Amino acid sequence: MSKPRAMQEATFLILTALAAGPQHGYGIISDVEQISKRRVRMRAGTLYTALDRLREDGLIQVDREEVVDSRLRRYYRLTPEGGDRLADEAARLRANARVAMSRLDLSDGVAKA
Amino acid sequence: MNDSTNLERRYRRLLKLYPGRYRAEHEQEMVSVLMDAAPEGQQRPRLADSANLVLNGLWMRLRAGRGWENVHHPRLWLMVRLLSGMWLLILTFVLCGFGRWWGLVLVPVALFHFHRALRIGRVIEGDGGDGGSPPLTRA
Repeated sequence: MSKPRAMQEATFLILTALAAGPQHGYGIISDVEQISKRRVRMRAGTLYTALDRLREDGLIQVDREEVVDSRLRRYYRLTPEGGDRLADEAARLRANARVAMSRLDLSDGVAKA
Repeated sequence: MNDSTNLERRYRRLLKLYPGRYRAEHEQEMVSVLMDAAPEGQQRPRLADSANLVLNGLWMRLRAGRGWENVHHPRLWLMVRLLSGMWLLILTFVLCGFGRWWGLVLVPVALFHFHRALRIGRVIEGDGGDGGSPPLTRA
């Protein structure tokens, strides 16, 4: 398999929202908003295009369906592969962030010297 | 008719842009999400939400169409794509020849047709093709 490309932020946030357990569409939107500290407000069209692709790639799957107040709610959850991809991406981001932080600290040190 | 029924009807109208098969599976849950996200008393979809549904619906339709092309009469579609691409390039040359430089806007469309022809060609050769993987998730 070819090396996976860096994940788009929307994808990363959706997978992160599902990492804690299955959620329905509106739950994902609210959670993404909370995780991103209100920076990312995902719209329904964007969400469902992303969910469709993630299902196709085998990173998420349908968990269950519920009808609440005569409205259908379909819950999605991470597949083991989805969990692995999210973990890889989180590790990649952390490594990048660590380098950035250490370089910034270094340049601070130089500036103070 | 109350506000929420009005709003729901309008959302459903926008969702008609999605391919039928996709709608059969997802329309109900998408309406639920849209209605959950709408503030009390809202009667019309907000412009940004409408634009988002239109773009994503058309995108889904494009994707669905790609898969369809690969399965049904791929050789015929290959010819259609190649001829469309060539016709557009000829048209571009003619337009530019007459000093109508705006004809250059047709070049990306022609390239898109050639790109699709290439994909269909690969499917015919039998090495798969992915039926169109989406470069676009944000809209």
